[in-house]
Amino acid sequence: MAAAWLLLPSAARAQHDAMRTVDIEGVEIVGYRPLKDIGIQSTKMDSLTLKESISLSVADILTQNTPIFIKSYGRGTMATASMRGTAPSHTKVTWNGMTLNSPMLGMVDFSYIPAYLIDDAALYHGAGSVGVSGGGLGGAVTLSNRPADDDGFSLRYIQGIGSFSTYDEFLRLGYGSRRWQLSTRVLYSSSDNDFRYTNYHKIKQPVYDGEGNIVGSKYVEDRNRSGDFADLHILQEAYFNTDSGHRIGLAAWYMSSDRGVPKISTDYRDDNLTRTRQQENTLRAVVSWQTIRGSLKVGARAGYTYTDMLYTYRYDLTGSGQEMVEGIHSQSYVNSLFAKADAEYTIGDKWLFSADVGLNQHFVRSADRSIIVQDGSSAVVGYDQARAEVSACVSVKYRPTKRVGLAATLRDDLYGDRFTPPIPALFVDVLLWHKGELLLKGSVTRNYRYPTLNDLYFMPGGNPDLRPEQGISYDAGLSTHLRSERVDFSAAATWFDSYIDDWILWRATAKGFWTPLNIKRVHSYGVELRASIDVDLGRRWSLQANALYTVTHAVNHGDPVSVNDASIGKQLPYIPVCSGSATVRLNWRYWSIIYKWNHYSERYTTSSNDLRLSDPVMPYYMSDLSLERRIVLRPMDLSLRFDVHNLLDEEYETVLSHPMPRINFGFYIGITPKFGRGRRAE
Amino acid sequence: MRRWWIIALPLLTASACMKMGGAEIEPIGSTAHGLFITCEGNFMYGNASLSYYDMETRTVENRVFRRANGADLGDVAQSMTIFDGRGYVVVNNSGIVFVIDPDTFKVTAAIEGLTSPRYIHFVSGEKGYITDLYDPRIAVFDPRTNQLTGYIETGSHSSTEQMVQWGDYVFANCWSYDNKILVIDTRTDSVVDEIEVGIQPTSLVLDCNDKLWCITDGGYAASPYGHEAPSLYRIDPSTRRIERQFTFADDDSPSELAVNGDGSRIYFINDDIWSMAVTAENLPVRPFVANVGTIYYGLTVDPLRGDVYVADAIDYQQPGVVYRYSSAGEELDRFEVGIIPGAFCFK
Repeated sequence: MAAAWLLLPSAARAQHDAMRTVDIEGVEIVGYRPLKDIGIQSTKMDSLTLKESISLSVADILTQNTPIFIKSYGRGTMATASMRGTAPSHTKVTWNGMTLNSPMLGMVDFSYIPAYLIDDAALYHGAGSVGVSGGGLGGAVTLSNRPADDDGFSLRYIQGIGSFSTYDEFLRLGYGSRRWQLSTRVLYSSSDNDFRYTNYHKIKQPVYDGEGNIVGSKYVEDRNRSGDFADLHILQEAYFNTDSGHRIGLAAWYMSSDRGVPKISTDYRDDNLTRTRQQENTLRAVVSWQTIRGSLKVGARAGYTYTDMLYTYRYDLTGSGQEMVEGIHSQSYVNSLFAKADAEYTIGDKWLFSADVGLNQHFVRSADRSIIVQDGSSAVVGYDQARAEVSACVSVKYRPTKRVGLAATLRDDLYGDRFTPPIPALFVDVLLWHKGELLLKGSVTRNYRYPTLNDLYFMPGGNPDLRPEQGISYDAGLSTHLRSERVDFSAAATWFDSYIDDWILWRATAKGFWTPLNIKRVHSYGVELRASIDVDLGRRWSLQANALYTVTHAVNHGDPVSVNDASIGKQLPYIPVCSGSATVRLNWRYWSIIYKWNHYSERYTTSSNDLRLSDPVMPYYMSDLSLERRIVLRPMDLSLRFDVHNLLDEEYETVLSHPMPRINFGFYIGITPKFGRGRRAE
Repeated sequence: MRRWWIIALPLLTASACMKMGGAEIEPIGSTAHGLFITCEGNFMYGNASLSYYDMETRTVENRVFRRANGADLGDVAQSMTIFDGRGYVVVNNSGIVFVIDPDTFKVTAAIEGLTSPRYIHFVSGEKGYITDLYDPRIAVFDPRTNQLTGYIETGSHSSTEQMVQWGDYVFANCWSYDNKILVIDTRTDSVVDEIEVGIQPTSLVLDCNDKLWCITDGGYAASPYGHEAPSLYRIDPSTRRIERQFTFADDDSPSELAVNGDGSRIYFINDDIWSMAVTAENLPVRPFVANVGTIYYGLTVDPLRGDVYVADAIDYQQPGVVYRYSSAGEELDRFEVGIIPGAFCFK
């Protein structure tokens, strides 16, 4: 393993490829250290990384390219993030500056965000998140769109077909002129997701001989019949630049999703007689304005989010599958208004002052179930709440010498009629070795995350007396970047350490329902390592490789909930101590071959890390292989891609009793017609 | 070109196999007088388990279903009943009732076709009932064939729970957003009456005087169904009238009603463990066993010895603990069991 690590450099970033067209904005300007980045630990993913395949969600991109841990139940099912040992609600996510975290749950399901709809993504580790949002005790993910820099009309169409009746369709229409950039993206993904697996959890079936005698037993060959999905995304963008330096943008994203919730492998109910489904419709729209006047950059955004989500459990009363009735009907509606203004002011090349203030006004109606009350009438169990959230931030960055940078950020959040305590963050970086760009970075913050609406108002159990969770985190790291004519190498190592107190945890009550309480204290610490290399091998051969390795200890230091509590001092469930990934891309002329490897160490499924009475999730190793070929023709460019997922045909689970597919395949064809003058590919 | 393989080879080597496979079958079993503990496990993780405690040797064997059968018990083991030498384990979110040999723990049959089963009751060797969390019907099955033979329509009562029998009538409490005890005529398999009690009756027992006892949780604050102080009820099953209502404090959470072997005392959890004679006219003022610093989750009383067993689910994410107390309230033993121990069954 260690040998593999040394040989496998990495880091997700734009890789120049002679055979590919790279967006100019994605290219890193070497040797320049922006004031904005002083002391901040971040991982940036460019357009090339995000646009690798239309079948990938942002969850897949984060898994492969960042130290973030994604707990996923498979394609078309929930994927949540854990950064530096924290909970999914501790990772803040924005899209074009507007928060994506559910005001009800606090977290983001990354499986609903196709990577092909995102042009830039960045992960801000720990204290770096304070500049993005408050409450990112683990970190923050920013997702954004930007103009495609089209000149005239452009079109791109990609179609994919994969195992288990999986189909992906992507269409992008673009138009660009000196002032206007217009883009329409449509992505439709659907799948029966009906894969076979050997069910090791169920009772073995008897094996009979020709005369009907039992001669042995075998495991049940089951199917994942109920995990089908159909997701539609439409993203409309329009950008307008005035002659006087104003830039106005609109991005509107509509999503409609209809997914079956896969049954676990110990469910004996007939697939046709019970069904659990999750349906969601979401519209997000952001308008933005930005202008630069000398040293002053000013911007403003306004947005709106609508979400309706329905979770149902239906069962059959007749045994025919024809008369389904609802046992669960959980419906929620979210309407959110968003506004934000920001400004940056620079003095020479040494000072940068910035400030922003953002507002979110949420209106949430949650109807968990309908009941018949004692007088015979019906009533709804749920809540109907509105909440305003305001977040204001000021920041100053200072570079007294070329080698040293200092920065301070102060944020405060208001939720409803309550303020969080101020959220300060301090950053420093020092250039130790100019030639090798050896940079020492450090940061510290005290952060607060306020409770979600479900935490406060869910029925039953909502607890309006909850306090904000609080965290202190430190990190420090070294990074280097070495270049020669043919080789470009970069590497970074970061140590992090954080303490989270008053962690909100849902706990069973004596009444039988669950209620959130400020209970847990967690000490999370570890190391993040990453490296990348880009080699020009000559004769039109090139190689790019990157690798990540993360060690995360997330240890419960709360008070025992019982005299028998054995969870104190133990790793949090489902947080892997070790995780790693690597990507190797070899290019020759119009050909590319890509190998991806991903690993998580064993994950505990109990808070006491017990291995006798509950199985852990076994160590996870996954390999994927892809072959790409680009064909340049006069009227159009064609791209062909063949993916092999789970190359080694592993049988595995990522969550207890949730089977995952064995080796499976995908084939994609992309068409980019050439209209008039030279076109730019995705 | 060969250099590429130098890099790729270590990666492929590092892609070690993930070991998936079934559990090993072990030669396990016990003919001793013992206690089964059904451990729910975590919802949707499929890690329910069955523990077996030998009262004589004071030893516990955990995951006995898995070890005897090489398969997992399933998702949310709700309850267990032994009838006619066979153990019936109700696994709620697996939609199945496993029939096991109580001595070998091996599966001999299963009852399927259920939606969300909770408890099982045997009317006779030819008929049994299974209640359900969602299905507004109680399933009727034949224990000889383990096939469903019909349903008892309950109207709008979608959450039927525990059952006790008095003569030809079975009484079943309706818990979730409900306040009724259904009266089922076992001769016609139909609901013939309802007894209104307080909000959300959670458990039901029958004492030595043929009186029915029921405990309610009172709902919760702001519930659209209402919220009230929980109560303990004594009911005459012949008249189907409430004879006595014992009201708790508003913020009390009584649950897990149990009765001793001769039916002379009832036990329940209300933060502490409480016991009272079935002839008592007031709630006890001193607990049978004071809380040791946890939230108790399950309770039962040995019908032969009178020992009291109490389950501690701790934080619901780790193996639980069961306490054994004598009938005098002296701690005799404590042992570790599976995740979320919720129900018991004596062999």
